[in-house]
Amino acid sequence: MSFGPPAGSPFGAPGAGSALPFAGMPPELAERAEAILEREPEHPPPGLVFDQRPPDGRRLTLRRFLATHSGKVALAGVLVVIETLALQAGPFLTQQAIDRGMVPQRFDIVARMAAIYVGAVVVSTLVGAARVAWTARLGEQLMYQLRVRVFAHLQRLSLEYFTGEKAGVIMTRMTSDIDNLTALFQEGLVQMAVQGLTVVVISGVLVAYDPLMAAVTLLLVVPVLIGLTLWYRRASTRAYDDVRDTIAAVLSDLSEGIGGIRTVIANNRGRQNSVIHANLAGRHLAANRESARVGAIYGPSAESLGYLGQAVLLVLGATRIRSGQLEIGELFAFLLYLNLFFGPIQQLVQLYTTYQQGQASIRKLADLLDTPPAQVEAPDAVELPPVEGEVVFHDVTYGYEPDRAVLEHLNLAVRAGETLALVGPTGAGKTTLTKLVARFGDPQRGRVTVDGHDIAHVTFASLRRQVTGVPQEPFLFAGTIRDNLAFARSGASEAELQAAAHAVGLGELVDRLPEGLDTVIHERGVSLSAGERQLLALARAMVAAPRVLILDEATSNLDLRTEARIDAALDVALADRTALVIAHRLATARRADRIAVIDRPSPTEGARVIELGTHAELVAAGGRYAAMNELWERQSAGDAVAADPTEVGAVATAD
Amino acid sequence: MTEPLPYDEPPHRFQPLNVAEEHPAPTARVHPDTERGWFRRLLPVLVAHRGTLAVSVALAIVSVSAQVAIPAVVRSAIDDAIDAGTRPLTPFILALLALTLTRGVLAFGYRYGLYSMAYRIDFDLRTLLYGHLNSLPYSFYDRIATGQIISRANSDIRSVQLYLAMAPLLSTSVVSFFIALGFMLSINVGLTLVSVAVLPGVYWVGVLLRNRLFPLSWIIQGRTAEIASLVEENVAGARVVRSFAAEEDQLNQLGAAAQRLRWAAVAAADNRARFGPIVENLPRLGAAGVVAYGGWLVTRDQLTLGSIAAFTSYIVLLQIPFRLFGFFLILGQRARASGERILELLDERSDLPEADDARPLLHPRGEVSCEGVRFGYGSGRDLLTDVSFTVDAGETVALVGATGSGKSTVTRLLPRFYDVREGSVRLDGLDVRDATLDSVRAAVATVTDEPMLFAASVADNIAYARPGAGRADIERAAQAAQAAEFIEALPRGYDTVIGEKGASLSGGQRQRLAIARALLADPAVLILDDATSAIDVAVEERIHRALDALLAGRTTVVVAHRLSTIALADRVLFLEEGRIAAEGTHAELMGTVPGYAEVLASAESGDENSDSGGAAVAGVHSPANRP
Repeated sequence: MSFGPPAGSPFGAPGAGSALPFAGMPPELAERAEAILEREPEHPPPGLVFDQRPPDGRRLTLRRFLATHSGKVALAGVLVVIETLALQAGPFLTQQAIDRGMVPQRFDIVARMAAIYVGAVVVSTLVGAARVAWTARLGEQLMYQLRVRVFAHLQRLSLEYFTGEKAGVIMTRMTSDIDNLTALFQEGLVQMAVQGLTVVVISGVLVAYDPLMAAVTLLLVVPVLIGLTLWYRRASTRAYDDVRDTIAAVLSDLSEGIGGIRTVIANNRGRQNSVIHANLAGRHLAANRESARVGAIYGPSAESLGYLGQAVLLVLGATRIRSGQLEIGELFAFLLYLNLFFGPIQQLVQLYTTYQQGQASIRKLADLLDTPPAQVEAPDAVELPPVEGEVVFHDVTYGYEPDRAVLEHLNLAVRAGETLALVGPTGAGKTTLTKLVARFGDPQRGRVTVDGHDIAHVTFASLRRQVTGVPQEPFLFAGTIRDNLAFARSGASEAELQAAAHAVGLGELVDRLPEGLDTVIHERGVSLSAGERQLLALARAMVAAPRVLILDEATSNLDLRTEARIDAALDVALADRTALVIAHRLATARRADRIAVIDRPSPTEGARVIELGTHAELVAAGGRYAAMNELWERQSAGDAVAADPTEVGAVATAD
Repeated sequence: MTEPLPYDEPPHRFQPLNVAEEHPAPTARVHPDTERGWFRRLLPVLVAHRGTLAVSVALAIVSVSAQVAIPAVVRSAIDDAIDAGTRPLTPFILALLALTLTRGVLAFGYRYGLYSMAYRIDFDLRTLLYGHLNSLPYSFYDRIATGQIISRANSDIRSVQLYLAMAPLLSTSVVSFFIALGFMLSINVGLTLVSVAVLPGVYWVGVLLRNRLFPLSWIIQGRTAEIASLVEENVAGARVVRSFAAEEDQLNQLGAAAQRLRWAAVAAADNRARFGPIVENLPRLGAAGVVAYGGWLVTRDQLTLGSIAAFTSYIVLLQIPFRLFGFFLILGQRARASGERILELLDERSDLPEADDARPLLHPRGEVSCEGVRFGYGSGRDLLTDVSFTVDAGETVALVGATGSGKSTVTRLLPRFYDVREGSVRLDGLDVRDATLDSVRAAVATVTDEPMLFAASVADNIAYARPGAGRADIERAAQAAQAAEFIEALPRGYDTVIGEKGASLSGGQRQRLAIARALLADPAVLILDDATSAIDVAVEERIHRALDALLAGRTTVVVAHRLSTIALADRVLFLEEGRIAAEGTHAELMGTVPGYAEVLASAESGDENSDSGGAAVAGVHSPANRP
């Protein structure tokens, strides 16, 4: 069996081609796609500048957004008008040819009208082409600006927006809301103009021919057509939603059933699963049939309405012609225009939905853009000069909710170059404390200084270049190991990247991999073990070479050997710089130069430093830390007994 | 938990079913002759719905004829009743109404019928393929990445379905083309030629348009996804981005991606601009031709005015097949490729044939034996060269060996996931190849170190091998596996859904669920392949104590690295160089077999994964070059 290669990266992100329902580009298209891409010019670097402060500006609305390009919009409008008039000239010219040429048997007039007809066709073709090309450029320019603007603002939002449900909302803004606007800008708005204008032009011409007949036809046909189309829109949306939901269920069942096929086989589950799958596929079938039913009702009904309209026109036309109020050519024009009337009205009803969705999306995007950044860079913020790394909390009070301080009157001085372990019960505020150092939150009272510089008065970029955190759960980006390391500092040299990888003990792994640093790690780094991911995150922080390193030690259970590797890496990473380590393990706390115990003095108060000193000092003092230490020691002793002696021995010899 | 299972009658005795069929299963199969073309092989599936097809086609022909007759009636009405006034208008109007009604009602009938049939075939293919995939063995899934199968099962079926839905629509438009052409020719040959002269252009320019538009829309789709994944990463990794002050970098990356998308979207629009208006305007050129030439004929009294109206209407109708045809060809190409790929899957056969006189293993005691087993995956080298051992019913045996020595491989031969190259594997003395597959698998349950759980409730996951098991049984199994406590602490207890949107479980918790699942399956032989690697030692001991009570008289085969686990076994089989190098109690082997102690020590410090990946699975899991 041969399976073609998956769509390659030139078409988008790795795995991008797997967007269902069609996975991967069909091979017969791949070749043509290559040919097209060969003609793609090298795009200049976007050269975008990120400003921590949002640009001053009024709220985003559709009108204001378009108004920034009013000249281009006006030109698009002109093209639309010319195109529409040229498009709708046909029936009028036919009428002229009949009434002025064929009926009086004057071929010269017939010939002139036919020539004008051909001219109109040529004009509508050329102008139509220009209009499509022009509005696409305009629409894509708008989309580009919007994407950049929204994305830039995402980078200013408080980190709270990136967890849980709020993260989902942000994804929706950048995907489906932007998609809605793409639909609106690419074709929606301009089609609304074209079709709307078509309806107006045709109505105008018909009224000019015969107001009574025009009124009767329009009043008979248009309301029914609109009603029918509205019904269709509602029914088909519901049907398609069903189709989408049911196919999603079929696909997830398929992917589970086949992804877990070995378990299925081992458990004799085949028959049960097949029936479940058939039932899901059956629901999809029912949904598909409903959508087919809706479509099969709408299409022929709208068509029949057109034929009924023709019948009405013939009856009315016959009497009007007999009474001399209508020329026969005009009856032709009525018949022809009636056909041309249907499409635009059907489309306008559909487009109105696109428009509403676009408006709703632009409101949501405007809300997002109006969300103020969590921490605002001071207008007069200065670059933080290179620091030694002394971090001092001066009487800091901080809370997420106004009345509930997490930290209260907290004072702590971390000496330049020392490793300070933070210990304390869960929820005491250790993580919060470290957040304030990199300015992921601003104290309500008090201040945080680095080498005496109040961090509220320095630029974010200069602060975070020197104060860097390694979060508990290492987040790795899709891409290569190199991408992930260089993420910390895009200008880092090969030697620096290699050095960082080796320093944390990943050197052996990197050397073994056939593609070394250029090995692609899978989405979220799933193909690396948990320990390797932590090491990579640590190496990344080392590439940044910060003066102050904040480390939130992982709580997840690692095997002893991996812990040993991480301990070794920490020894390297924490040397020669200030380090604030949230310690969950005894070994980590012991390794620190000093230890600060953080806790709330009473349940109603925020946390402060309740003990501070070296391991030996605190153990000797017999306070909270001494108690924790004792507990830890008991636990690890218990582990060592329960586990096998060889296990401990093995760890000692590991690496 | 030993109450009789709700198995129904043979032949499905060991394939429990606890769900009602909601839709009749497809009756047809694809044609087995692989020499035939894809369409002829899939034809039986289509022919199974010949009733619907025949009725729909008949309705379509009548409906299309009525549609084509309408402009002819309008023509006569204009000429005879309005222009000349020689005949009354009323009969024409009545005829028009009758034709409209016929056309409308029948058009609903045939469209619904044809689409309905196409969707039914989609259902049939999905059901056939899924059933077939469930019959394929491990060796097939070792060769083929499951992701490929999933996308294939979906997109290929879809493209065949699109083609099947499109084909009848195109056929009806072709029918209407020829009927209309006949009408027109009967009126005036020259004018007919003028009207249809431009139509091949509609087809041709349409082909040009699609040739570039289709690949471009793939490119656009890919680039849109690229932006989405960039945003997703910036959302998920927001803290990292901020920590390294990489906002501007990321903004420029997004800018670059958005530029690339913009280029592709503009390229697609330019392509539409170049060809789209031509396709739209060519029929108008035909209409202008009708005005010119028809007008000339009218001025010379060789044509009636009504004919001009009829021809103008027909041009609209005539262009439809030309528009559809190019699209149809593309769908046809794709459907052909898809159809062949679907057939490739359906032609796959299990390499674990069941003997004609295979008999079910009815009340297995659990005696396991391997005799002179030689085995390797696929066409790979032999992993096991000469493995012989016997495990008595009720015994607990540990398999120990260096990484890659084939411990897990041995365990995969017992439930006949693979067939041996030489020698035999027996359960209760019966060669597994002489027993029915279902019964062998019901007799043996395997728990691995990374068990697969499904996005279903905890209870359903435990009852995976016994759908329909009572809650009491499920809870008992969970208790034995030391899982009851954490399950009850989950937000919805046993009804908590596991997976993306449900609870996420730790490795140890997953392993305990898998053990509960195996216990509920009530096997004669239980295989624990590093199944407790993420469970702490104390809990593991409790599990084994519970197993002792529950599986009294059952056979247990344990693959383990931990001494604490090995210590639970009655006997140890030491695997080296593809054969059993030694066997005895742990203490005996420690004393007499130098390689044994070495392997245990290095297993602890070496790769923490067992060899459960094995040679076969290594190619399947991920191409990430894990060392």
